Amino acid sequence: MSLSGEEAERLACLYLKEQGFQVVARNWRSRFGEIDIVARDGATLVFVEVKARSGTGFGGPESAVGPEKQRRIAATAGQFMQETACELPARFDVVTFSGGAPRLHRDAFRIG
Amino acid sequence: MFARLTSGTVIGIDACLIEVQCDISGGLPTFQIVGLPEKEVSESRERIRSAIKNSGFSFPPGRITANLAPADVRKGGVGFDLPIALGILVASGQLPSTSNRHLYVGELALNGDVCDVSGVLPLALAAADRNLEGVVVPTGNAAEAALVDRVNAYPIDSLADAAAFLRGDREVTSCRSDASRLLETRSGEIRHDIADVRGQTQAKRALEIAAAGGHNLLLIGPPGAGKSLLARCLPELLPPLSFDEALEVTRIYSIAGLLERGSSLVVRRPFRAPHQTISYAGMVGGGHGIPGPGEISLAHHGVLFLDELPEFDRRVLETLRQPLEDRSILLSRSGISVRYPASFSLVGAMNPCPCGFLGDPIQACTCSIRDVHRYRRRLSGPLLDRIDLFVEVPRLSTEDLFTAKRGPGSEEVRDRVEAARRVQWERMREAGGRFSNAELDADGVRRHCRLGEEPTTLLRRAVTRFGISARGHARVLRVARTIADLEGTERIEAAHVAEALRYRAQLLAGTAG
Repeated sequence: MSLSGEEAERLACLYLKEQGFQVVARNWRSRFGEIDIVARDGATLVFVEVKARSGTGFGGPESAVGPEKQRRIAATAGQFMQETACELPARFDVVTFSGGAPRLHRDAFRIG
Repeated sequence: MFARLTSGTVIGIDACLIEVQCDISGGLPTFQIVGLPEKEVSESRERIRSAIKNSGFSFPPGRITANLAPADVRKGGVGFDLPIALGILVASGQLPSTSNRHLYVGELALNGDVCDVSGVLPLALAAADRNLEGVVVPTGNAAEAALVDRVNAYPIDSLADAAAFLRGDREVTSCRSDASRLLETRSGEIRHDIADVRGQTQAKRALEIAAAGGHNLLLIGPPGAGKSLLARCLPELLPPLSFDEALEVTRIYSIAGLLERGSSLVVRRPFRAPHQTISYAGMVGGGHGIPGPGEISLAHHGVLFLDELPEFDRRVLETLRQPLEDRSILLSRSGISVRYPASFSLVGAMNPCPCGFLGDPIQACTCSIRDVHRYRRRLSGPLLDRIDLFVEVPRLSTEDLFTAKRGPGSEEVRDRVEAARRVQWERMREAGGRFSNAELDADGVRRHCRLGEEPTTLLRRAVTRFGISARGHARVLRVARTIADLEGTERIEAAHVAEALRYRAQLLAGTAG
């Protein structure tokens, strides 16, 4: 089954809240690109990329978000932290959907 | 959010203690290692991350910086994996901070296991010099670390083990070494007994002289005469390694990563026989990053055997000249220079001509004179100048081949060699250290190789008749000194000079004095 991007992001938000995250922003844009969800997990700032059409069997979350996409997300995240003057440690997570159920991949990739 | 631990890196034969500092701060998740790391150290990031995750810890979010101080020392090796991983765990509050009284070293596998590393012995020695309490090392390296009795050696198998040790949860019993006992029982063992080599009485005598005086030796003879067998006997004709010598050898093998897993001290004199195709970096040392020790350093306090000497690359042979003189090698690369000890006995072996049968009483030589000259010209005069004994190893006679008579065994020869060496050490005591006759310089020869009237006349006649050079003259005197020492007489007699003259380079007449 397949979800629309918007639908997937809405479901992901709900799921993150269930997991105890606080959603800070959605679809935050910079000139480098867009971050689907910005949330807080305790004292950690989390940038979440939602992949609607990535099921299992096609590699892990790193392969769901390619290197070019990772760079764009990282640059946007940098911009976000600068603009909000945030000093928290940050993390990149990816939410994928398999069979309609969301799955959270914590610390899916890092920079460098 | 800051942690510091002690580790170290090996530079040449010495180790330099390195402080591993870890800091975690807010910001995007990055992981950097700074402080002049070589490629293998930068690569450790992936291993560290996986090892932490797979050991039941979490890899902290945010900006992670590991600094290796002092920042101006090049750091190679994979031993920083463990201290950096522990530093991250301490900085992220998953482990308590440490008293910094231990040195940590080890490579991490992705599953969190700790793997053996090279160069642990020099690190343990450096830790002892800095009065650290102990070294935490991979289990396979514990025996060599335990050689240093001023520090405790704690063996660990995994990152989780090391974490438990750091927390104080686990009592890790330190390793003890039985090295001195090992040295006593094993160093005298004879594996290649010279009594097993048939015939070749003259060559055996030359081998004994070489062992007694630390002289370099060239064996010349047809194929199958027993040159390699003879050479192989030499390490065990030399006096057994002293503890300090054994420690020096072990250090080099530790750096080269050639210690067998779990073994501690190298107790036998090394015997290295590199193939003719060896490169000059393989011979004298080199490699990427911090240059590693070559064959001449691996043969330190032992024997370097070069079979088919003229077949070696000329450039490789020429690189031996300086270490043969200095007994060490200085390797200089951009931004780094290291010195390795290289005090070895050189034993060369070669055929008298390309086909191998020149001068053989049975098989005819098929080489032209030009071929023979070309073959011998491959050995340069300066290299041959550093060889004191030239010995012919002829084909075995039929009687020798079938006789059951055995000559004196290695143990008996070694006793004589040791006695002769003791005389030399005593004589050159004021020079500080244990020196052999082969190491006598011009001044030493003048002082210790005085001749009476009769031997002087003999030598004078030989010099005129054979056209012996000044250097060849000194060589005869050094060998004569050793022959006299073997006999236990302080005076060098005419007979000693006469025997020494037999080992001149006349076998290679026309190529060297």
